[in-house]
Amino acid sequence: MQIPLTPEQSAIAAAAPNKKIWLEGIAGSGKTSAGVGRLLHLLELGIPAESILIYVPQRSLAQPYLQALQQHSGYSGGQVAVQTIGGLSLQMVEAFWFLIAERAGFGHPYDLPNFLSLESVQYFMTKVIEPLVNQRDYFNSVRIDRARLYSQIVDNMNKAAVVGFPIDEIAPRLKGALPGGVEQGHIYDDAQTCASAFRTYCLANNLLDFSLQLEVFLDQVWNLPQARAQVRMQYRHLIADNIEEDNPASHRILADLLRLCQSALVIYDSDAGFRRFLGADPENARRLQGFCDRQEQFADSKVMSDDARALGRALAGQLGAAFVAGLGGIAEDDPQPVLIREAHRYHPQMIDWAAGRIDELVNRQGVSPREIVVMAPFMSDALRFALVEGLTARDIRARSHRPSRALRDEPAARALLTFARLAHPGWHMTPAEFDVAFAVMTAIDGLDLIRAKLLTEMLYRGGRMLPFSDVKSEAMQDRITYDLGARYDHLQTWLNKYIEGAPTEALDIFFRQLFGEVLSRPGFGFYDNSDAGNVSMNLVDSARNFRWSLEFMRRYEEGTDLGRDYLEMVDRGVIADFYLRDWIADNDDCVLIAPAYTFLLSNRAVDYQFWLNVGSEGWARRLYQPLTHPHVLSLGWLAGRIWTDDDEATMNRQTLGRLILALARRCRKEIYLGYSELSESGYEQRGLLLEAIHGLMRRSVADNINGEAHV
Amino acid sequence: MNLPDDFAFTQGSLQDAADCPRRFELRYIKRLRYPAVEAAPALQFERRTRQGARFHKLVQQHLLGLPAETLARSLHDDPELADWWETFRKTGLAGLPEGRQAEIALQTHLGGRRLIAKYDLLALDAGGEAVIVDWKTWRRVPAQHYLESRLQTILYRYVLAKAGAHLYGGPIPPQKIRMVYCFVATGGERVSIDYSAAQLRADEDYLLNMIAEIDDAEQFPLTEDEARCRFCTYRSLCERGDAGLVDLLDEDEFEEEDFVLDFDQIAEIEF
Repeated sequence: MQIPLTPEQSAIAAAAPNKKIWLEGIAGSGKTSAGVGRLLHLLELGIPAESILIYVPQRSLAQPYLQALQQHSGYSGGQVAVQTIGGLSLQMVEAFWFLIAERAGFGHPYDLPNFLSLESVQYFMTKVIEPLVNQRDYFNSVRIDRARLYSQIVDNMNKAAVVGFPIDEIAPRLKGALPGGVEQGHIYDDAQTCASAFRTYCLANNLLDFSLQLEVFLDQVWNLPQARAQVRMQYRHLIADNIEEDNPASHRILADLLRLCQSALVIYDSDAGFRRFLGADPENARRLQGFCDRQEQFADSKVMSDDARALGRALAGQLGAAFVAGLGGIAEDDPQPVLIREAHRYHPQMIDWAAGRIDELVNRQGVSPREIVVMAPFMSDALRFALVEGLTARDIRARSHRPSRALRDEPAARALLTFARLAHPGWHMTPAEFDVAFAVMTAIDGLDLIRAKLLTEMLYRGGRMLPFSDVKSEAMQDRITYDLGARYDHLQTWLNKYIEGAPTEALDIFFRQLFGEVLSRPGFGFYDNSDAGNVSMNLVDSARNFRWSLEFMRRYEEGTDLGRDYLEMVDRGVIADFYLRDWIADNDDCVLIAPAYTFLLSNRAVDYQFWLNVGSEGWARRLYQPLTHPHVLSLGWLAGRIWTDDDEATMNRQTLGRLILALARRCRKEIYLGYSELSESGYEQRGLLLEAIHGLMRRSVADNINGEAHV
Repeated sequence: MNLPDDFAFTQGSLQDAADCPRRFELRYIKRLRYPAVEAAPALQFERRTRQGARFHKLVQQHLLGLPAETLARSLHDDPELADWWETFRKTGLAGLPEGRQAEIALQTHLGGRRLIAKYDLLALDAGGEAVIVDWKTWRRVPAQHYLESRLQTILYRYVLAKAGAHLYGGPIPPQKIRMVYCFVATGGERVSIDYSAAQLRADEDYLLNMIAEIDDAEQFPLTEDEARCRFCTYRSLCERGDAGLVDLLDEDEFEEEDFVLDFDQIAEIEF
């Protein structure tokens, strides 16, 4: 149901359909609601929906607009377009490919382009540069795994594309700003060589990773008269939201769209820009203000309580975040009422405390689970598991969201991957006994791990599964049960028949056959199991996308074994693709468990927030990335400047200040701080957030401290 | 109410409901994803659906302004597709009104639910004909009465009549609407289906009744016609045998759009 608009929101929504409006304000001040109102008003004026473009940095941010349209029961007509820079560039490069491929330097301009997923990029990157890395001993002083190294090379190329500098300037920029001695200089040179080699390979083979897709879009397609005409004709009215989270390439496109369109609403969230690590550039986004003929500002939050406001200001002020000076009222506000905190010696105690507090809120006070979010800077498997277990034991539903969780970590995927190894002995990737036991347990409904291990100990020989009749001991047969044994036999027979037939190298097809003919049948673990179905579908999508990329390459170079290569990729920890449906499923009444930035980018507020591991340095410090740098490779970086330790410290404080402020602005009632002296790994924790909380506590009046032990 | 508030009916979901209520329930109410093979051999089925998708893309590119000859040069790897393209070049757009909108979606509401139709091509002249064109890459041309009874035909004409006024310059009289199925794999043969005010009323009643039945249903029975299970991915859940053979597939059981990866969702997190 659409919430009634305030007068200031209504004024934006009802502006004439030839106005270009810049709207700025803090999170929760009602900007997106005004944008939704604007969209509905345009439709009520009879403007064709297909001429309206909703432009956002990521599709999930367009959900409020799409939901409003879905609920607008009187509407008949076309459909509003939703675009991101990724989606728009892909669609347009694909559409106009045959007009630009030759001049863009592709080796086969009359063959189709091959757009690479992140998985495929990692695969081809490995294939192209690993020989270089091995032969020339590149990156020998960097102590992180290869997959992470390569992802930083990809990151550098993407930053070059979104910022708009040639990829051969990556190393000069990094070396000029980050003097780390000769060795560090070599590392940047190595990264440059790898990036250039990968680009050459992509051009020669019609491969487009995100960076090349974007470059081709900006430099070639966007300049085509046909493409311009298409955009001008199609998008007459623009609503661009969260532009501070978008990158300079997007801002360039938006600037052109603003010139071409008839009306626009450009929405800017003050004090945000959390996707800097993805190239977000809030300072550059401000340039778009100059293309608008009316400026509006929303100052007050319609979401956060006064107490949460006080906390956000006080903590950010404590960190000396420069932008807080403009917010006012730091000294007068008392952040105590909104804070509930407790210190523990050990990590599991903190988790148990959080689960207990949530139990109190949900089961005693009647709070809806969807009004609670549990955050930490990183969401490790152990933390996630312990939280989910703790909540489940208290009869509270929880869901976790990690955008880059590897598919191979999911039980259904692990089982399918293990069976793929078993079914393709020619690949010489024989699975370990425990993996087979785990797979058999997952595959057969009602089989526990102990009996699954017994089965594999007796029947898994030389990489093959033997029939249940090979269990000679009657006692053991009884223990396993004949019913489970029969199902085991069904699975074993299917696999053996598959091996004796003509195994397919299309691993996705293998997964689908095994799923459809065995695992999803009654008596098996995937039967009527929506989680297993979803995970299996994701795995099928991933394997199929990978196969399509590689099949395409066979016209240019000698083929490899697609299925085996895929499994090797999985073994190397290549992450799975991310699917929007994970966000769409967010309507469930569950406690959300997520990394802090993931919650922020879901763009919603909750009543209660739990910040765990407040002692962790991860709240403020960026990831260790020796091959790249988000600031040095940004648009605003001045050539000749040096990035110093002071810059790093200042950036950490500013980043944390913004994060805290943003979280507080998305909290309606209370924030719970969870701290353990020892981290999950057993180390003492003394991060910047903890320091800020200590400072805040010292400043507070002792009378305000109520009840519980102090952090 | 069995369906979530944001649910929208498409030709695919309506056809599922008509073919097998149980399939509708699993796919759209329970949202159960079941990645079994649709038809065997799976790779042959995949090739056919990808060919169909590629043909639709070619038409879209052509209507965006890419020369037909340029596009033809890209088909050196697929002679069958090249034949279809040649057929399209000769006859695909012949006799159609000049106001053309490719790959456009329209929506309207009926019985408290959204109806969405995604058109390959709308060719309209203000005050003149409003032609819905649907490219088919099927190897057989079905009988006219079969096509008339398809939910695609019913939905597409109805939605255009209700939601296409802004493209036509005013309300579209039903008698001006025509749906044309164009079979490029059989030499460009066309099957044309007219519309009328009486048919619109009949279709509206039919769709209303169908929507109400779905929304109010207490049970979603499995179809009694087991032939409809051959190409359904839920057949293992319903214990209805193995995948049917591609050669026995009535090709309209799978639309190309069902098979296309949403690259937009993937691409946006590449970086």
